[in-house]
Amino acid sequence: MKNMTFDNRTSVLVRNLTLPVLLIVVWHIWASTLPAGSPAPAPLKVLQTLGDMLGAGSLLSATLQSLGRVVLGFAVASVLGIALGLLMGSSPAVRENLDPIIESFRPIAPMAILPIAILWLGTGTPTALAIVAYASFFPVLINTVHGVSRVDRKLVLAAHTMGISRWTILTRVVLPGALPSILLGTRLAMGVAWTAIIAAELAVGAKSGGGGSGGIGQMMFVFYAYNIDLNAIVVCMAVVGVVALLIDQLFRLVEKRLIPWRP
Amino acid sequence: MSDNAQSPKLRLTGVTKSFVAPRTGQRTLAVAEMNLDIQTGEFICIVGPSGCGKSTVLNMIAGLDVPSGGVIEKDGHPVRGPGADRGVMFQDYALMPWQTVEGNVGFGLRHGTPGENLNKEQRNQRIAHFIDLVGLRGSEHKYPHQLSGGMRQRVALARLLANGPDILLLDEPLGALDAQTRLILQAELLRIWGETSPVTERKTAIFITHDIEEAVLLADRVVVMSSHPGRVREVVTIDLPRPRAGTARTNPRFGVLVEQIWSLIRDEAYRAIGGDESLAKPTEEATA
Repeated sequence: MKNMTFDNRTSVLVRNLTLPVLLIVVWHIWASTLPAGSPAPAPLKVLQTLGDMLGAGSLLSATLQSLGRVVLGFAVASVLGIALGLLMGSSPAVRENLDPIIESFRPIAPMAILPIAILWLGTGTPTALAIVAYASFFPVLINTVHGVSRVDRKLVLAAHTMGISRWTILTRVVLPGALPSILLGTRLAMGVAWTAIIAAELAVGAKSGGGGSGGIGQMMFVFYAYNIDLNAIVVCMAVVGVVALLIDQLFRLVEKRLIPWRP
Repeated sequence: MSDNAQSPKLRLTGVTKSFVAPRTGQRTLAVAEMNLDIQTGEFICIVGPSGCGKSTVLNMIAGLDVPSGGVIEKDGHPVRGPGADRGVMFQDYALMPWQTVEGNVGFGLRHGTPGENLNKEQRNQRIAHFIDLVGLRGSEHKYPHQLSGGMRQRVALARLLANGPDILLLDEPLGALDAQTRLILQAELLRIWGETSPVTERKTAIFITHDIEEAVLLADRVVVMSSHPGRVREVVTIDLPRPRAGTARTNPRFGVLVEQIWSLIRDEAYRAIGGDESLAKPTEEATA
């Protein structure tokens, strides 16, 4: 979009927004045909609820709580995933030994380990962190290993002919060379992590009977099962979606900044 | 020849290399019984048909590969592993894409053994000097993907020289360039190597190429290899006077030498491309 003229950019924006706006208008018309006390969500009521929740501060604090968990879990998983990925990518021996374990756990969805996590760690933040870390780990690891495999072997040889030590080759040749794949892995991992936290908080909310474990997922569950408010659920869903979009855009921006050499 | 009294810079004695196919376990002899002496300051070109083991030999000298038999000695000591004393220039440049020209040229100085005894100021000066030497001043902050093939090769050359090796190993460095850029870089190479300087100031260079004219232009001696298995067929001394840039190609001796070398390789070259050897016979007998 960078090289497009102002007119082109607005016309693309208009094109992208037309259908969603149309759908919302249709939704509004349908909602206005319903009887007054109906609990069904309607656009105007959703907006009003949004205003209330923002005013009360509950929406912001819940979102931040979820984000905090995601960031922490993601950070731990990324450091582990990148370190292990670099090691596995550069040493066939390490890879052969770890592959069976990794490949056994990879297909197991983060949600599937939730019951064990709750049993071991309770229904609070540690469980949420564990789920997020587990979910983020595999995309980072796998993309790091892939990134290492795509590093031109000639670069490593060239480094050897310059008297560069193996450790420095790992940090100054392999790591930068694998960086595009690594950043892709972290971006995917962040997306998965965000999805996982919402689901985990929903499930934990259910298990703890709507108890105060916090987070937007848990808030959504409460609006579903206890203070039934469909408009509030729509607000939560929208927030989850918008945050996911923003995270993705942020990561793409960081990618561009860290990899200026991509043609 | 007075250099018999002086020990060679590089000596290959009975060097062989065989490869074992991983699945079948079949052993192939790639290089057989290679003996070669290279003196300090000599520019040696290695030519031969495809698959004759030229690159294998270079890799062994560079320490990137290990001989199956025999020994390679530099200054009388066996070569063990790669090092900055034997710098390599690869055909596809091997530049770090995430580093600028400046970063690439200084890579060995900053992260490897060449810059060990220098401070930051000295390193930067050295880097700037070699960027200037290859004619890339002003392009220091460009990335490789923004450079033409010829410019990339010059970055690779600057990097090689900045690391201060005493033997230059060049594996078809000009192979990926168009013919005109190649002509320019050949002249540049001769200048930078020091063909106008006294022999004692020149670096020892081993240059692999498919281009026989290039070999005759650049080299003091041309090692002609044959394949299956790879071995030295003949070593041709190039008795053309230096400096050669701009003058050698019009010397009648130039064509004679090229033809002499080509006649040693021709049959095998035809075989290598699966051709009919009878086509290899020249259409006119040489009158010399």
